[in-house]
Amino acid sequence: MSHRLGMFRMPSAQMRGQGLRNQRIHTHLMEMMLHLKQTIEKNLMHLTTRHLQQDLVLEEQRHSQAASEQEALLGRLMYQLVNLLQSGAMGGLGLQPSCPSLDVRHDVRGGQWAQSPRQPDWPVHQLSDLEATFVSQHLSSRGIDISALYHSSFQDYKIYQRDKYHEDKNTMGFINLGLSENKLCLDLMTERLSQSDMNYIEDDLLQYPDWRGQPFLREEVARFLTYYCKVPDQLDPENVVVLNGCSSVFSTLAMVLCDPGEAFLIPAPFYGGFAFSACLYSKVELILVHLDSEVTDANPHPFQLTVDKLEQALLEARLTGKKVRGLILINPQNPLGDVYSRDSLQGYLEFAKKYHLHVIIDEIYMLSVFDEFITFHSVLSMESLPDPNRTHVIWGTSKDFGISGFRFGVLYTHNREVASAVSSFGYLHGISGIAQHKLCRLLQDREWIDKVYLPTYRSRLQIAHGYMTKKLEALGIPFLNRGSGLYIWMNLKMYLDPCTFEEELLLHRRFLDNKLILSRGRTYMCKEPGWFRITFADKPLLLKQAMHRFYQVLSEQKQDLIMKQLENAQRE
Amino acid sequence: MFTLPQKESKAPTTCPGPASTQDLDSNHGDGLERECSRKPDWKLPEFCGVGDPTATASSDSSHLSSRGSIIKWFWDSAEEGYRTYHMDEYDEDKNPSGIINMGTSENKLCFDLLSRRLSQSDMLRVEPSLLQYPDWRGHLFLREEVARFLSFYCKSPAPLKPENVVVLNGCASLFSALATVLCEVGEAFLIPAPYYGAITQHVYLYGGVRLVCVYLDSEGVKVKGLILINPQNPLGDIYSPGELRDYLEFAKRHKLHVMVDEVYMLSVFEKSAGYHSVLSLEGLPDPQRTHVMWATSKDFGMSGLRFGTLYTENRDVATAVASLCRYHGLSGLVQYQMAQLLRDRDWINQVYLPENHARLKAAHTYVAGELRALGIPFLGRGAGFFIWVDLRKYLPEATFKEEMLLWRRFLDNKVLLSCGKAFQCKEPGWFRLVFSDKAHRLCLGMQRVRQVLEGKSQVPDDPASCQSQESGNQRSGGETPPAVL
Repeated sequence: MSHRLGMFRMPSAQMRGQGLRNQRIHTHLMEMMLHLKQTIEKNLMHLTTRHLQQDLVLEEQRHSQAASEQEALLGRLMYQLVNLLQSGAMGGLGLQPSCPSLDVRHDVRGGQWAQSPRQPDWPVHQLSDLEATFVSQHLSSRGIDISALYHSSFQDYKIYQRDKYHEDKNTMGFINLGLSENKLCLDLMTERLSQSDMNYIEDDLLQYPDWRGQPFLREEVARFLTYYCKVPDQLDPENVVVLNGCSSVFSTLAMVLCDPGEAFLIPAPFYGGFAFSACLYSKVELILVHLDSEVTDANPHPFQLTVDKLEQALLEARLTGKKVRGLILINPQNPLGDVYSRDSLQGYLEFAKKYHLHVIIDEIYMLSVFDEFITFHSVLSMESLPDPNRTHVIWGTSKDFGISGFRFGVLYTHNREVASAVSSFGYLHGISGIAQHKLCRLLQDREWIDKVYLPTYRSRLQIAHGYMTKKLEALGIPFLNRGSGLYIWMNLKMYLDPCTFEEELLLHRRFLDNKLILSRGRTYMCKEPGWFRITFADKPLLLKQAMHRFYQVLSEQKQDLIMKQLENAQRE
Repeated sequence: MFTLPQKESKAPTTCPGPASTQDLDSNHGDGLERECSRKPDWKLPEFCGVGDPTATASSDSSHLSSRGSIIKWFWDSAEEGYRTYHMDEYDEDKNPSGIINMGTSENKLCFDLLSRRLSQSDMLRVEPSLLQYPDWRGHLFLREEVARFLSFYCKSPAPLKPENVVVLNGCASLFSALATVLCEVGEAFLIPAPYYGAITQHVYLYGGVRLVCVYLDSEGVKVKGLILINPQNPLGDIYSPGELRDYLEFAKRHKLHVMVDEVYMLSVFEKSAGYHSVLSLEGLPDPQRTHVMWATSKDFGMSGLRFGTLYTENRDVATAVASLCRYHGLSGLVQYQMAQLLRDRDWINQVYLPENHARLKAAHTYVAGELRALGIPFLGRGAGFFIWVDLRKYLPEATFKEEMLLWRRFLDNKVLLSCGKAFQCKEPGWFRLVFSDKAHRLCLGMQRVRQVLEGKSQVPDDPASCQSQESGNQRSGGETPPAVL
């Protein structure tokens, strides 16, 4: 299912960007908006009828309910936008804070400019002043969009930055288990990075570099990946491009593989950063391949990705005239924690080859597999890649080495054209020579990595994971018990009544009110409300404190639910 | 459909510098996106004088998007330049006949001071917060330090505020981010030419924004801002407070954003030159549209460190730029080191700056003397790392083709300069000559420059000698543009 309300966004951006400045086009905008509303209504009608034709009775009800809710919301939104326009035309910058970010919230949480017919979450919650207005007479309309997108996407993160939990200094601060950050081995990393071999300065490091990354670092990366990805042949440093983080790598790939408006397929739920990156600079659309939690004959494992699903999504997208350029895979998967088997991988790659799709495969958690019975297979380990010129691998040190503040991401591709094109961005995504040296030393120290770091890291992951899963089991919360990654994907739908994304957001807010940040399924484009991702890669004390808050919130929530049900019963 | 960039041999290119990209783009600066803004999609820049035709031919790729092919072109042109310079880099011991680089604007005079300072124990701190996800605008400790630093060195009337500071990995990223948040695709910034050509690439790659040189006809293009570089690159000019104010008033009248790139502000080595930062002005004409950039690349001779900063009172702009910082961040450890460096006012004022200025001045004096001896007119203004040299009398005809031939002649004689075309200079025959290098390299470089110029005045033009030795894939004929670095 890859429905779109794409036409919705651009006009709204224009409204904010230009309409407010110029009263003359005010009327025109109003007309446009009316037209927009009609269009959206038509679209919704279409969606509703389509589901009526296709789906089962239950689904049917759900969809039409969703659609009518959506319609109501849109009506309200339009109304607010009209208000916004009026006030904007009068007062230049003097706008109500909440309005302009409304649609943006929808966009972001929807992950793309153009996604998902499900109910967006804007009206249920009063927007905080954090989401200050981004209607500015100084910014371009895309500048306004970028600001608003950022703020709505990373609002929790900003709150957290301002008020971080600290075991001594700020015990009332926010605990962030929403961010996938590995904090288990900061002691080891700090120690290693403080050793004398790290502190080396020479002329070359301070001068303009090779923008693909310093040769010494690319060579080391090639050796490193050859070893840890179990590559049959030595990888070639010429195929390595080093940038300041995996987001940068993805962003540049999207730029050079797609033209604006073209699309990538991506199985959902997936790491929301891709959605952010896709629309920020590159204006690439993501076509979601929705996976189901429910186990059936066709779906033997929860959220299983199959070639059939890929094919179906691709065909649907093509029917709507979308030009799909590639497929994004995350392995080990985020947020599910799944590790693809060799056969599955082969299947996905063959599928991509069949349709001439690029495959961007993000292996950023490849060393974070802590269950010894699970074998991770890097695509680089395959004897022969089905379509090497269209297979592009991303890796970085943020997760596996817990140094997200280091800003280091790697692209490995056999396609020299792609590598060259990405390298053009080296200027804009360059890493300090000093940091490149440290990274090189780190990756070089195989002895330390194999004998000290990885064993410790994995055993700590195991313990933290064990602790968290035990807590969840005790609470009777269903979750995916996987052996990789820094997080657990759990289902809290039993705490939602009704089970909607609005309720999911309310629960999320409730966690926030109790100074606990989790990330909710909606940000991963999960189609079922109620899923949350909780990160466990943190210190035991902090986890304990977090689970305490978690438990409290759920107890409150449960009581509220009971009250609600009682009231309903009484009313009847 | 996408059509291939056409090469125009009559438009010469580029200039070299191992930093490559810095100059490569200027050759199509005037060609980017002829028309604008009606359609929000990307348009093909018009390429003039692109280095390698096979590279452009291969850009009709099944693997890259249309814009990907354009983007790749930037790299290919740079790549070709790398081959020329990096395959034959001068080394005192190992390759004394290698190419001397007087094309890249890098300060190589103070590595000894810098590496000593950066190796001191206060630089070596590693702590967990530096290793984790940061505040994307830059760690607070660094932004505070930047605000203090700029307040002091820019002589701002009131202390500058850390909230107005955004830190990212270099001024290139800053140009890119500002272009993105201030302009729509196809809109433009005004820039006085000749100018530092790399800006063309910075504002184009992500932003799809073009530059309009002030001497160009800007009809049909929506101009959103004005870029000022002060001290100027490549001229070395320093704007007086009066001039600055005039430019700012002009911008205000036309509601233009002004981006003031002050990346050479501490590289004013003639005290008499009297530099004034835009931040020192009492009462900016349009503070909400004035955005100042600074970096350590030039003033601290650390172009490889990737540290740049924006100062703007416009919170919307700061916020919008900060929203892009996820993609332009720099390592926490480096941020810590930068804060330490900027904080060390004693070292900066008593050791680094006096020494740096003395060395720059000595190098400048030497090169200026050599040029005078050769009877060559030049602009030497006492700021920056370069001299803008008038070699027009060495061109048999006043064409950019001849300029390029001369450029190639220098390269053949193993010295790399930047030609005026790379800075969008209107008149053929100007070259930028970087003097901020060690004495022995400078001597050798000047000797090679002299050889070419003296040889030139004696020997008639010999087309055969004009061909690049390295690039096998260039089109035959002397008019092939040189490798772009």
